[in-house]
Amino acid sequence: MWCDELLIHAVFWSLLTVALYALGKFLNARRPSLFTSPLVFTPVLLIAVALIGHVRYAEYIRGTHWLMMLLGPATVAFAIPIYEQRVLIRRHWMLLLIGVVAGSCTAVISSWLLSKLFGLDATLCLSLLPRSMSTPFAMTVSGDIGGVPALTSVFVVITGVLGATIGELLLNCLPFRSALARGALLGMGAHGAGTAKAHQIDSEVGAIAGLVMVLVGLLNVLSAPLLAHVVSSALHSW
Amino acid sequence: MTRYLRTTFWRTLRSSRLFQIALILLFWAAGEGIARTTHLMIPGPVLGLFIVLLLLATRRLNILTVRRGAQWFLAEMLLFFIPAVLAVLDHPELLGMLGLKILAVILFGTITIMVVTGAAIDLCYRWVNRGEKCDVV
Repeated sequence: MWCDELLIHAVFWSLLTVALYALGKFLNARRPSLFTSPLVFTPVLLIAVALIGHVRYAEYIRGTHWLMMLLGPATVAFAIPIYEQRVLIRRHWMLLLIGVVAGSCTAVISSWLLSKLFGLDATLCLSLLPRSMSTPFAMTVSGDIGGVPALTSVFVVITGVLGATIGELLLNCLPFRSALARGALLGMGAHGAGTAKAHQIDSEVGAIAGLVMVLVGLLNVLSAPLLAHVVSSALHSW
Repeated sequence: MTRYLRTTFWRTLRSSRLFQIALILLFWAAGEGIARTTHLMIPGPVLGLFIVLLLLATRRLNILTVRRGAQWFLAEMLLFFIPAVLAVLDHPELLGMLGLKILAVILFGTITIMVVTGAAIDLCYRWVNRGEKCDVV
């Protein structure tokens, strides 16, 4: 009996999530705006349903965890656009690396300064730090440096939604012409959502964004022990 | 005849999206398996990505065998982000003033990160190509 209830729960929430996502995509294709964007439209309605039904996050995620796990194979899928742009990447790997390092340093410094400016506590600041990375990386780094991975995953999504929109606006008003700078801007600032937006602009920009996203994640996971050390000494002066 | 049928069958299967999606899931599982058994710092999905890149680069894997599947995953990726957002349910404090502050940090932080990254690459790119008359890669 109990097992059946779990199964019904899982099927219900999975179907609802997928259906609302499909509806959001459909509406967004008809009338593109921030509010019909699947990353805003779908979660807002899901949260409304969950609040009405008094459903907690643990109950929801138990049934829909498999959807989140598909971020794994989606990351694997980035191998294809990266491979297709291998000539461009081989020619400019140094520039991309410079962009990734500059962006990552800016991410750490800006998160720290802004958190301080707005009076956020240390745990929140640490959970905010890895938000520009794609989810599997961000959760790893967040745990490593002493943040709350569940909070970080929320911040990652918010960053994606805001970043993909702002990124497009920025690209329209900043004088960056090369696909390298344009792709890196989106991949660095807004991970997967930014990369999806970049693919809409141009496949070359999209491939760069995808590569930068993976590079940022790698660089940060590898430097997480160092980052944790820097963060813990910075916390003394919080 | 049987050989002809076999190659046709293989060709149809190979180009079907469902088969390609399954193949990518397999590479992902391989990556996760390696990550779990070797305790590397690198997440399993990224190992999977490198496995696919390696196979493509050494021509052991034809790009047409994975391209349609990969396109599906990339096109529907936003769906996989959605369940994480509901973590907000456990943090009602985020829906008030604190949420606005966090939103401001994310907004200004993201703008700064984007401008710095784009500017760093753009300046280096112009510096590398100084003297040359081409401004589009």
